[in-house]
Amino acid sequence: MDTEKDVGNAASASTLLPIFEAFRAELDEHHDRRERIIKASRDITAASKKIVRKLNAPLPQNVVKGNKQYYDTISTQFSSVSSDLQGLNAHRYGRQISGGCQEYIEAASFEHYLQTANILPYEDAAAQMKQLDSDGPGVELSPEDYLLGIYDMTGELMRFAVTSMATNGSLPTISSTNDAAETDPAPNTQRNLLTDMRDLRSALESLDAGTGPFARDADKKMDVMRASVEKVEKALYGLTVRGAERPKGWMPDTSTGRALEVEG
Amino acid sequence: MAANSDGMMQTDIFEDLQRKIDADSAIKDALRDVVQTLEKQDRNTQSTLSRAHSTSSAELPLVVKGAQASIQNEVEAIQQLSEIASKNPYYKFNYAWTRQMQDACFSILLCGYLGGFGKAEGGQLLTIEEVGQVMSVPVNLKDRDAFHLTIEEYLLALVSLLEELARLARNSVTLGDYRRPLQISQFIKDVHAGFQILNLKNDTLRKRSDGIKYRVKDVEDVVYDLSLRGLLPKD
Repeated sequence: MDTEKDVGNAASASTLLPIFEAFRAELDEHHDRRERIIKASRDITAASKKIVRKLNAPLPQNVVKGNKQYYDTISTQFSSVSSDLQGLNAHRYGRQISGGCQEYIEAASFEHYLQTANILPYEDAAAQMKQLDSDGPGVELSPEDYLLGIYDMTGELMRFAVTSMATNGSLPTISSTNDAAETDPAPNTQRNLLTDMRDLRSALESLDAGTGPFARDADKKMDVMRASVEKVEKALYGLTVRGAERPKGWMPDTSTGRALEVEG
Repeated sequence: MAANSDGMMQTDIFEDLQRKIDADSAIKDALRDVVQTLEKQDRNTQSTLSRAHSTSSAELPLVVKGAQASIQNEVEAIQQLSEIASKNPYYKFNYAWTRQMQDACFSILLCGYLGGFGKAEGGQLLTIEEVGQVMSVPVNLKDRDAFHLTIEEYLLALVSLLEELARLARNSVTLGDYRRPLQISQFIKDVHAGFQILNLKNDTLRKRSDGIKYRVKDVEDVVYDLSLRGLLPKD
């Protein structure tokens, strides 16, 4: 640059450089950690999506075992960054790991629902996530990520319901799952996937997200969640109206129409 | 866990979460009040400091004194902020105050450059530790979760300082002070050299610091104009 003057004022420049060297070390450490966490979050997301895809495939109970490899991947990834996400840093990099946590909760709560016909409670989910890093400190699950994961899970319930209607010609009822209800409730109070989705919808709708970043995310997911419930309602309507005309096990018009809607 | 058979799914499990969200909202409200106070006080400080652009070097100490008193008010607000914020995870809420902390830090840096906070000779950069002492908060905390001034906030405030000094260089000439632009030119170049050794990612700090080179040029132009006309001090 300007050598003459730099020489004259070398003292001031040399006092600043060590300061900036210290900043550089701090910022490098920060960026490295941030990138590690982002990468882990992406891998967790990818593995969670694979779990969900397998759960949605026909005969879900058979493939639950096949998901072990993905849970192992998730466990490895959480373990690799758990020490980066402690204390002060838990929230500092919260946004970077958030995506992975949400996807994991989506997969875990979907699987939990298929097995027990219930929503995975927050405390259980948080404990499960800690368990994934059994040798380390574990990654903390924030209530926000949990809820956002639950919102996403409704999309999977929709897919599951629509697929079931298209293949079996009926909505999955709760008594058909392994943990069947002992008593036989009256037909109009019979739980099925749709009544559960409606319960979940009203529970999520009554939640006041307040203000801030979480409220914005929740707002967006709320719209998608409402649309999911409506898609199942429309599908059920189609099944009821046109179902009587079709031979058993065959759905000429709804299956193609439905398939398009699932994509959207 | 057995499925409950009363025709309803367990959805009351969200009630606990609602309580958590509500508690967070209350904290946000409390923070907003303090942060607004800080913002208002910083506007006061800024309006005092902006008189530096129209004040000769001889009378500058008065401006600095006024600004320092105003900054003292800010420090009180920062203390209140620190008290509330330290009870909660720092990075959970830091978006609520980071902007105002940058502004306060900028005010302190500018006041220090103009000769405040014991830097009577002027033209000095307050280090992040010195700014932390003025604010009486810790800086760059890593070992515990409490309120502090971050490196990013300090560096962003430093960019603001350079922008303000580029303006001050021109206005010094208008006031007949031909020495200060030289001093500012050297200072901006030194800080610019410092920023150049940082490995910045594509973030706010990167975007803001990209502008420093234009400030370097602005001040060089002023020095060039002065030297062309033989107006630079001889010693």
